Amino acid sequence: MKSPALPLCIVLGLLAAGLAPVHAADAKLVITMMPKAKGNAYFISCKAGADKAAKELGVELLFDGPTDSNAAKQNEIVENWITLGVDVITVAAENKEGISTALRKAQKQGIKVLTYDADALADARSFFVNQATPQGIAYGLLDEAARLMGGEGEFAIITATLTAGNQREWLKYMDTYLPQKYPKMKLVAVRPSDDLKDKAQSEATALMSANPNLKLLMAICTPGTPGAAEAVKQAGKTGKVNVIGLGLPNENKRYVHEGVTESVMLWNTEDLGYLTVYAAAALAKDELKAGATSFKAGKLGAFEIKGDNILLGKPYIFNRANIDRFDF
Amino acid sequence: MNRYFREISVTIALGLVLLAMAVLAPGFFQPQPLLSLVTREAPTLVVACGMVLVIISRQIDISVGSQFSVCSICAGLLAARGWPLMLVVPASVAVGALLGAGNGLLVAGLGLPSIVVTLATMVILRQGLNLVQQGAFVNLPDNVQWFGLSQAVGQWTLVAAALVLLVAFGLAMRRIAAGRWVYAVGADAEAARLAGIRPQLVTFLVFVLMGILAGLAATMNIVQSPQVQPMAGAGLELKVIAAVVVGGVAISGGGGNVWGAFAGLLLLACVSPALTHLHIEAYWEKAIQGAIILLAVVADGLRPRKN
Repeated sequence: MKSPALPLCIVLGLLAAGLAPVHAADAKLVITMMPKAKGNAYFISCKAGADKAAKELGVELLFDGPTDSNAAKQNEIVENWITLGVDVITVAAENKEGISTALRKAQKQGIKVLTYDADALADARSFFVNQATPQGIAYGLLDEAARLMGGEGEFAIITATLTAGNQREWLKYMDTYLPQKYPKMKLVAVRPSDDLKDKAQSEATALMSANPNLKLLMAICTPGTPGAAEAVKQAGKTGKVNVIGLGLPNENKRYVHEGVTESVMLWNTEDLGYLTVYAAAALAKDELKAGATSFKAGKLGAFEIKGDNILLGKPYIFNRANIDRFDF
Repeated sequence: MNRYFREISVTIALGLVLLAMAVLAPGFFQPQPLLSLVTREAPTLVVACGMVLVIISRQIDISVGSQFSVCSICAGLLAARGWPLMLVVPASVAVGALLGAGNGLLVAGLGLPSIVVTLATMVILRQGLNLVQQGAFVNLPDNVQWFGLSQAVGQWTLVAAALVLLVAFGLAMRRIAAGRWVYAVGADAEAARLAGIRPQLVTFLVFVLMGILAGLAATMNIVQSPQVQPMAGAGLELKVIAAVVVGGVAISGGGGNVWGAFAGLLLLACVSPALTHLHIEAYWEKAIQGAIILLAVVADGLRPRKN
């Protein structure tokens, strides 16, 4: 007759293994990464970079988050990770204040905390991996426009709403940078799209007919870029009026391949994930401390640190040569 | 003359704006950009026709923008799965009818105030769509844009379709009994009931029709570009209600017609491109549109009453 003890032992053994702190099992660092939403292609692309970094560093990466952008669910997951006793928690915060209590609790238990993509309150994390500074975006867009326009001529901007905070800040940087760096370029109009692709299209149509010498349309909100491109295409001005703008690769691929849109800017999301994991590992090993001014992340090299922000640097330009590599 | 006072005055205002543009910025009248802009307003006109009926029947539907979005995404997803437009259009219309019937049941069946009911459905539909779609665009197959025809043919087809619908509504509301019932219910539901009309049924059907038109308009929008944005239609309710009010449809029900709404829509839609052509800052756009609405309401207040 079989003894009931054997299966019982196995069950208990499995339970014990499951309950033990993860890093006790082996010496591997355990780094977690929480997206705003698990199924979001943007964050899946971040994860691809994070996986690469985890492999290079030999750390264990746990990637988990809400299925939808849900601030309360983010807190639950952080609580679980605290119980699990992970080494570093990295979060793209859905709600700045909401997540901070849970993150502070993690810090009290000796878990290091980093934010990336969207910050929590400053005292709830050691560093924020900042994907793009307002200055970086403003200068990046203008530099790209200048390159395409040969540094002279008329261009127009399509923004989100006239009161949108981010866009106003970018425009402020452009206002000072443009006359200094590109005095021969003239910004003829800034029109709102209310974050609607359809309205952006109408605005772009009117802008082109009102300004026959227009050389370039710049959209500084993501729905604006495909909207402006569709207007240029319908006006039969492909190649005469260039389109650039902030945007997601999948929403713009068609127009980039048709030659309507020259470049789409965002940050390299894979690099964002890669840098976050490298920073997390360095933080856990005490190689990255408050007050540092630069940080080296594997193959990507050195990144600037400003205060407690690790800067991903200049925006990344998606164009015909590389846009198909990105799926978000 | 007095009966069509508003329709005529709005049309004159529109004429004056166009005349001013002809003098100050003749570039406004280039055919191709103008056709593109007018085509973009074709779906809005279709929704406005429905809103005219809703407001005449003394109700309001502020969920039309959300209905439009839901229908756009449903239609887009079906088209992306390879459904032919012949089936996508009825499917989108059916979804719209269903959403309209939901509003209609709550308003007509339970006697709830339509502003509250449709405020709730507006938010529910919008957030539901955000949850499901996460803001992602739907990419459409190549043969959807302009029905797979040339751009010019596609644009003229859409404009013509909207105008045909406008004329059909304009005639039907005066000449067909069902059209007159809507006025009767909006003017005095009790009197309408005593006259043998069933106000609840009429109200219910008006909401269903609103949904149907939102669904139809959604398909008229998705054929204009190769991708659908889930946000499409956000703010549409305000645009349409403004056009209808400027066009002289009494918000208290019982009066007005689609012709006025048509003129109101064109007048309001002119503002943004006109400002762009006159190189005036965009800050003025909403202020001018607001002033037009206010002027229309004030004109109503100053108009001599019959009694």
